[in-house]
Amino acid sequence: MAITAPAMTEELGQTLAREQVSLWADAWRRLRRNRLALAAFLYLVLLAVVALVAIVYTPYPMAHQGVAVPYSPPSASHLLGGDAQGRDILSRLMIGAQISLIVGVGTQLVVLAVGLPLGLLAGYYRGWFDTVLSFLINVFYGIPDLLVALILVVLIGRSSLWVIIFAIAVTRWMDMARLVRGQTLSLREREFVEAARSTGARPSKIIFKHILPNALGPVIVQATFGVPQAILFEAFLSFLGLGVPPPTPSWGSMASDGIAAMRISPHIVLAPAIALSLTLMAFNFLGDGLRDALDPRQKR
Amino acid sequence: MFTKGSLFYIGQRTVLIVFTVLAVSSIVFLGIHRLPGNAFFSERLRGSQEAVLLHHYHLDEPLLVQYKTFIGNLLHGDLGESLIFRGVKIAPLVAREATVSAEVGVTALIFTVGLGILFGVLAAMRQNTWVDYLLSTTSVIGYSMPNFVIATFLLLVFGIYLDNLTNGAIFYEIGWSGTYGTPGQIWLPAIALGFPYASIVARLTRASMLEVIRQDYVRTARAKGLSERVVVLRHALRNALIPVVTILGPLVIGIITGSVVIENIFGIPGLGKEFVTSILSRDYNIVIGVFTMYAALVGLANLGVDLLYTVLDPRIRY
Repeated sequence: MAITAPAMTEELGQTLAREQVSLWADAWRRLRRNRLALAAFLYLVLLAVVALVAIVYTPYPMAHQGVAVPYSPPSASHLLGGDAQGRDILSRLMIGAQISLIVGVGTQLVVLAVGLPLGLLAGYYRGWFDTVLSFLINVFYGIPDLLVALILVVLIGRSSLWVIIFAIAVTRWMDMARLVRGQTLSLREREFVEAARSTGARPSKIIFKHILPNALGPVIVQATFGVPQAILFEAFLSFLGLGVPPPTPSWGSMASDGIAAMRISPHIVLAPAIALSLTLMAFNFLGDGLRDALDPRQKR
Repeated sequence: MFTKGSLFYIGQRTVLIVFTVLAVSSIVFLGIHRLPGNAFFSERLRGSQEAVLLHHYHLDEPLLVQYKTFIGNLLHGDLGESLIFRGVKIAPLVAREATVSAEVGVTALIFTVGLGILFGVLAAMRQNTWVDYLLSTTSVIGYSMPNFVIATFLLLVFGIYLDNLTNGAIFYEIGWSGTYGTPGQIWLPAIALGFPYASIVARLTRASMLEVIRQDYVRTARAKGLSERVVVLRHALRNALIPVVTILGPLVIGIITGSVVIENIFGIPGLGKEFVTSILSRDYNIVIGVFTMYAALVGLANLGVDLLYTVLDPRIRY
């Protein structure tokens, strides 16, 4: 970046006057100032706490039928009411939060594990590997992701949490690979990489010490946007009856059960539908906030 | 518009689509036949009866022979016979269902593009006023909500609350009579299907409209004394739509995908409903048929969108 001498001294003065902060501390400060993103972040922390609590405690066992009156509306003993089989909706919603978060975060971990190395290698070495990867990425962008995830679950023959994570990751890995590849392509031409190369640094060191840390901002943003997408996919699969096998509840299958009884007791479908919408919205707002915080120059 | 070059391009793409469809259906065919069990499991047939059935569907032959027959039939447009409803041919079935899906999908597409552009332009013209904030917030909510949640809310409001409120005078009748719906039945699923994408179109239109409206030629148009309507519609919007056109591809695929869920909620007898029903009832022949149909539809939709680009933006040529 070319900064003229007066501007540089001015900036230096500012930096000296102010407490020294790292990029991450600076980003965190900007994120805290964004109220919507902060609210979203707090909501997600709360959701994670609920999901953790659900491991050891739910108000009622989530699969027990008849603990509530079937179709009963919210009451003091059952805060969100009972579903068609008389199961406690709040307890099921809590377990559903667990499932959603595991699928959302788990899928992104797989996507990171696949997309990060592929993108780094293709972007750094280019050549035939890059050509093949770019072709694959384009092919995957042309296919309808949900349909492929659906048929994958069918072809694997049984559905479990891991099968779902795998199926979603297969259809979404290219988001991360494409992003990392692009970042690497532009970073590898920068002066500091040139400098590192001229001092004789090995490629592995350049990739992991110089390129990866600088690409981390957009990667975090992409991963944040990827989580709600995976949660949405899981909800779709469960909604269609191909998700986590019962009696384990998922917000998608709960909504699907609720639609059948919508006319007499809409609370059954509303609880998971609202929880799902809030969670997806929170992730999207947090992603927007992170993008603004990590890259203040980029305009929307 | 169709030069010799572009006709050649269309030919090339069509051949590619045929190969894609063959590859996709082969993968699904071989994958499904690898699975243990078949549709007859649930019928508790006795040995000889099951053997008769298996023979009828050629399921007792070696996989390779079955595959050869399958590909041969596929090339003749024959997708075989349903495993559950004996004697029902799959090809005409999925072809009819595809038209039902297309009916809803095209309505949703018109709704998506129309409303998205309208809201985007309105928000851009009234930037930083309550109109802008209202539309922008609605659009964030819109693309954060899964379409089955939107469908649920719409059904609750128009199907149930409106019914109660007006004592049954005006309301949306839940359920789909006949094969093809009436306009009164199509609009609600079309909105549910298109709403998330309308939000994205609105966001894009707003952003690109804001960019274009500051350009010199727009100022010139205003300075010439043209009316605001002409400036916005003729000069600004036309160029603002070019970036919007690029999401048409993902949008069409999104609507095809979304229809799987929406058709199941609204009980629309289209391809999406058949897909899920056949998977859950293990009618594997239909699963293969529907997926083959989807592969063809997606290929054709992508080609259609690419050709549309050349019409909308003459700088693009093939």
